[in-house]
Amino acid sequence: MSISLDQVTKRYQGSTVVNDVSIDIGDGEFFVLLGPSGSGKSTLLRAVAGLTGVDHGRISLHGRDVTHLAARRRGVGLVFQNYALFRHMTVADNIEFALRVRRMRAAARRARRNELLRLVALEGLDDRLPAQLSGGQQQRVAVARALAHKPEVLLLDEPFGALDAKIREELRRTIRQVQRELGITTVLVTHDQEEAFALADRIGIMNLGRLLEVGRPDDLYARPATRFVATFLGAANLLLARQSADGLSFGNGPLIVPHHEPSSHGRAHEVVTVLRPEEIELAPARDALRSPYMAEGTVEEILFSGALERLRVRLGDGLAGAHVVRSENLSEEPYLEVTRTQHEQRVFPLAPGLPVALGVRRLHVLPTPLSSFVAWAPTAALAETLAREPLLAELATRMKTRIAIRVEPALAESAPLPEGAVALRDSEAEETDADFSGAAVIRGSNDARAVEWLLARGVDEVLILRAGAAAPRRVLIHWVNESARRATLAVSASLLRHLSAEAVYVGILPEHERADAPRPLGMRALLDARSEAAADHGLDMRTELGYGDVAQELALRLAESPDQLLILGISDAADLGGRFAELLTNPASPLLIVYRRSELQAVPAPLESSSRAASGRLRYA
Amino acid sequence: MAAVSGVDRRTLVRQPSVLPGFGLTFGFTTFFLSALVLLPLAALVFMAASMSWGEFVHVVLSARALGSYRLSFGASFLAATINLVFGFVIAWTLVRYRFPGRKIVDALIDMPFALPTAVSGIALTTVFAQNGWIGQYLSLLGIRVAYTWIGVTVALTLIGMPFMVRTLQPAIAEVQRDLEDAAETLGAGRLYVFRRIVLPAVLPAMLTGFTLAFARAVGEYGSVIFIAGNIPKKTEITPLLIVIHLQEFDYKGAAALGSVMLVMSFVVLLTINLIHSWGRRRLVATAH
Repeated sequence: MSISLDQVTKRYQGSTVVNDVSIDIGDGEFFVLLGPSGSGKSTLLRAVAGLTGVDHGRISLHGRDVTHLAARRRGVGLVFQNYALFRHMTVADNIEFALRVRRMRAAARRARRNELLRLVALEGLDDRLPAQLSGGQQQRVAVARALAHKPEVLLLDEPFGALDAKIREELRRTIRQVQRELGITTVLVTHDQEEAFALADRIGIMNLGRLLEVGRPDDLYARPATRFVATFLGAANLLLARQSADGLSFGNGPLIVPHHEPSSHGRAHEVVTVLRPEEIELAPARDALRSPYMAEGTVEEILFSGALERLRVRLGDGLAGAHVVRSENLSEEPYLEVTRTQHEQRVFPLAPGLPVALGVRRLHVLPTPLSSFVAWAPTAALAETLAREPLLAELATRMKTRIAIRVEPALAESAPLPEGAVALRDSEAEETDADFSGAAVIRGSNDARAVEWLLARGVDEVLILRAGAAAPRRVLIHWVNESARRATLAVSASLLRHLSAEAVYVGILPEHERADAPRPLGMRALLDARSEAAADHGLDMRTELGYGDVAQELALRLAESPDQLLILGISDAADLGGRFAELLTNPASPLLIVYRRSELQAVPAPLESSSRAASGRLRYA
Repeated sequence: MAAVSGVDRRTLVRQPSVLPGFGLTFGFTTFFLSALVLLPLAALVFMAASMSWGEFVHVVLSARALGSYRLSFGASFLAATINLVFGFVIAWTLVRYRFPGRKIVDALIDMPFALPTAVSGIALTTVFAQNGWIGQYLSLLGIRVAYTWIGVTVALTLIGMPFMVRTLQPAIAEVQRDLEDAAETLGAGRLYVFRRIVLPAVLPAMLTGFTLAFARAVGEYGSVIFIAGNIPKKTEITPLLIVIHLQEFDYKGAAALGSVMLVMSFVVLLTINLIHSWGRRRLVATAH
């Protein structure tokens, strides 16, 4: 491995700028770190260069641990967005800078300089001053300068940011060529997804200091695992759908049966789907569609943008009340973004106001277990207040999902719960579960009845909020039974992608294992859990170890500081009223309960209808 | 100035020059410099010229006068050099670091500008006199500050310091940290980065600051006379000698000494300016 980052964390003035990032970048690979501004990508790059120290974790270059090595001893070349050329030196002196520092002979320096100038196509400009060159030329000089001392790694920090589109493309090609010719491991930081697609062997997408996903450009585009990546890489419509063993449905729309492995998750449940604008088919009527019918709609707006036509289609009644996930601009309008090629436009010309039938050529289901939030309360007023809680509102905004409201008088603290409610079991829940989708959100109360009532009706996740709680800085993760492990990890990973909080797995071993030196049995399970989190969910957790009573240990940690959130995985609802009663009444921290019944229930697998995509494309051929 | 503010912004953009035509501005410049600088200086030289050559030489080359030149120019040069180093450190600290009280320190820099120089002189004497706060300890080491050339240098350093700091601050702020980072990733050590990257960038400002601090020190009078002790040939600066001539109603002698100072200052400032423009031509051809 050329570059190896292991749990690199950087804090700056109390906030975590780079949060537990681990990557391995292979020899000669062109790796692009992509993310919005403020996502920590530049800080990470500077950490690799040695210009910024890290608070935690290790950085190695070609197997050599350089975490504490000064920048000038790391053997990296760095190119800056603003070129950072030495203005009082000529092009030649700039390029030879690293060689002069190394006291190379003049003849050897000149030879190397000529070689580099040829590489970046700037021969003959040796005696110019940087101010006499165009922006593109200056950046070429900067690239040549960064390569002069034959670094093992080339780092580029938004190198095209200050250039206009034409020159940007030209320089992009040069850099790709140089990188191939030298076979040098390269990391480029950018916020421009087009640039990332054009250059990268692999892309790593960062947000809020966390590395969300790493993969080949086409893979990430077709099969994102997170909402953020789905919407940041290209345009995407995020829709809530119900997935059952038979297929998918949007709202009360028809069942779409994509060719995919049926979910092993037996119960129908809510999922988040990604529909790319170019994968939506428009036709005059349902019968004319080549792809599975999804809904009726009305064309709202048409924008011509060169090769493509961009449309905004308002969904018809069938889906209007359905669970369209709120889009970026937070408008409540349920509409879809659609793009069409010139060819499609000619075959079926459209104007605003016309009705259309929508078909889905290809869709992708995000493997996230947290699809949406439902605020549950005994009265409408209380539910409204609950939905406006800052933490919940913030989570929903960041996760680009909606908060529904459900009023259930039975949840009132004084009200006696309906007889036999707690006894309601899966078989019955099956019939009513349409009403119990999404993560439930309730106000913290003094007993476990509300939670038990929800769990008994098929709700899998319950977020217990405290009034005024802010976004947590630390998320504690613990599961009581092994059968809840997988689900807890998946929910934790999904939630943490949208928070800049530190993840801490709290492992608690029975008191008698403390003496069980040298290696307590339970320890192995803890380590396994950590590597599973990293491998399956891209979630890096710190581990803290405790001994003794689980509830007591957790309460103790929650009391340490405010701004914490506890994710507790359980598989026996009765535990709540019993062992964990203390946690439920803890006023300080919000609590997210992940409930999985003892039989193994896997997270839904991603599903697609690739064969239909093919037929859709053939239609006008 | 009224012309500038009176002009509509849009016309500023359209017209090649902000101010009215070259003829008017050049005329004003010439008039201003002539009335306030050249004519009084010419009058000074003219008055000195009314002396006979023998009288002139007797006044300007007397042992007392020679001693005062040495002190005035020597101490000014030394003070400006000290400011070159420590003014840089202060300016660097203020630009590059954020620390509690930075604003206050920054404001303190201007104090010597605002204080009547006599006040600075009295204050310095209080501190550096042999029984003063610092002076008493220095005298234990055998160092006398007040009433020696050291005291003169201290006073001139204080007076010149804000010129150096204020000139350097914007220049240091201009040196992007990226440049240093780039040099570091290319393998340069800190000293090398300072010598090859930072210094060339701030050198023009340093020269300007040096010139200003030096010029100010040569002309300084108020603060020095309190701390210098004014022992003829030893701690007597030229401006003081001129005042002494004036008090004896020897206007011609005063004018003669003044003319010598004028010529010497002009030569020194011209030299520095030449170095400056030569360096600028060599270092930065940025305009084109």
